[in-house]
Amino acid sequence: MITVTDLSKRFGRTKAVDHLSFEVRPGTVTGFLGPNGSGKSTTMRCMLGLDRPDTGGALFSGKAYRQLSSPLHEVGSLLDAGYVHPGRSGRNHLRWLAASNRLPRSRVDEVLDLVGLTSVGGRRVKTYSLGMRQRLGLAGVLLGDPQIVVLDEPANGLDPEGIRWIRDVLVHLASQGRTVLVSSHLLSEMAQMANDLVVIGQGRLIEQCSVPEFVERHADRWVRVKSPALGALVDAAKAQGAQASVIDAATAELRGVTTAAVGELAARGGFVLHELSPQTGSLEDAFLQATAFSQEFAAQPVVAP
Amino acid sequence: MISTIRSEWIKLRTVRMNLMLFILAVAFPVIVSVLVASLANISDLKVSDVAGLVTGSSVVTALLLGVVGAVSISAEFAHGTIRPTFAATPQRMRVLVAKAIVTALFAAVAEALVVIFCFVVSSAIASSRGASLSLSGQPEAKAALIGIVVFAVIVSLLGFGIGMVIRNTPAAVAVLILWPLVVENIILAILSAAGVNHPQKFLPYISGFGLGNPDGPSSDSLSRVNGGLYFGAVTLVVAVIGAVVTARRDA
Repeated sequence: MITVTDLSKRFGRTKAVDHLSFEVRPGTVTGFLGPNGSGKSTTMRCMLGLDRPDTGGALFSGKAYRQLSSPLHEVGSLLDAGYVHPGRSGRNHLRWLAASNRLPRSRVDEVLDLVGLTSVGGRRVKTYSLGMRQRLGLAGVLLGDPQIVVLDEPANGLDPEGIRWIRDVLVHLASQGRTVLVSSHLLSEMAQMANDLVVIGQGRLIEQCSVPEFVERHADRWVRVKSPALGALVDAAKAQGAQASVIDAATAELRGVTTAAVGELAARGGFVLHELSPQTGSLEDAFLQATAFSQEFAAQPVVAP
Repeated sequence: MISTIRSEWIKLRTVRMNLMLFILAVAFPVIVSVLVASLANISDLKVSDVAGLVTGSSVVTALLLGVVGAVSISAEFAHGTIRPTFAATPQRMRVLVAKAIVTALFAAVAEALVVIFCFVVSSAIASSRGASLSLSGQPEAKAALIGIVVFAVIVSLLGFGIGMVIRNTPAAVAVLILWPLVVENIILAILSAAGVNHPQKFLPYISGFGLGNPDGPSSDSLSRVNGGLYFGAVTLVVAVIGAVVTARRDA
């Protein structure tokens, strides 16, 4: 269980995190979602006692991070897979981490094996690919067999196979009853691994809910119809308060009506239907819509010629 | 605390550059001593000469050990490893004290090896050439050989302190090396020109180097112990400032 309460952090005149509160429950993967620059990493650094928050703070099973005497046994964290000395071998990187929390040397070999790096453990980290570094970072997270796991963009730069691997590991950890908080700026990536979402923009909480709830609340929905008598059908739907956009001579998208209502209109008017289907916008669209006001650097939409 | 020291020791010895600096730091004075003992006019060779040679060439050793101290913290900032370090041990002062202990022990062992090697090797060469070098009845030479170990430890901690304050490896190393070689000499020249009596006494590095002076202090300088204490106190101030800054700032 992680509880973040009223967390704020400013850098100079920029409010990076603004009175942020949320909870992360055990037994689920919680996605920490926000556009780039929305304060996810700063929040995580404050949670782990690395940055000093201006207000509020985080509790891990009721304790502040700095009060933990052997934190690796309770909270495993990975802020950036690049936080390694390039001249040190992967195994030695894990060995100093393990020694600092009195973990035995044998545990280093166990986690190396767990992430599939046993054969390259003796190689210097500068020879590792990004995917291997992410695996090494995850090995460091698992070192102390912690009940709580905090990861910042662990899938960043990974190939699809690597992303799938991370997802499987996190889902597995949550299924063992652990608390998993994982950040990303990609909702599609998150939707595949997370049950719960904490969505932030410009350092403020936008929403905390489950993934289906989030989609339900924010996704665009419409009805797609195909009919040889499209004009008459669209007019009938408009009369009921629907907005219509005509795609081609036989196809239209109707908003503000249900498929059932359109079906009844068609039956009543005797219009032939070739297609009548409910449509939902992508998760990515839902996320962009929810955070649209808070994009730090909003780009102009690209208009097709 | 023991586990933190072990962790920092693993860090220090698993970076190849530290091993190379160690070898360089030990080898330089040893090579100089071997050359002098082999080539010097043997009838003139006194034990205080050998001691002076060891301590003089150990300036290089001490500065290299200071670089090890500076890099032990500045590299953590450069590579971002300070974050997993403080995440694994949130008690930051414990981490910094452990680093200081490891740095100091590393320097003490390296400089002790220098003193022993140099002395044993040059004595052996000298005796093979028919001369004998003995420390008995040479209290100043003896004190200088012990003092130079203390000096190397202080320089390594000074490097660590500067590294904590400056955080940037090239800048920290530049300050560490330019301070004794350039800055203090400029200050010395200014103080002399201003008519200050015994200006050496005000300069921490020059005073500290008196620890390894085989002839004992001159009237211009602080005594061996006082010079060491002065240099140590200045180093302590730099290290405490660095530690407080590192413990308070965002990592």
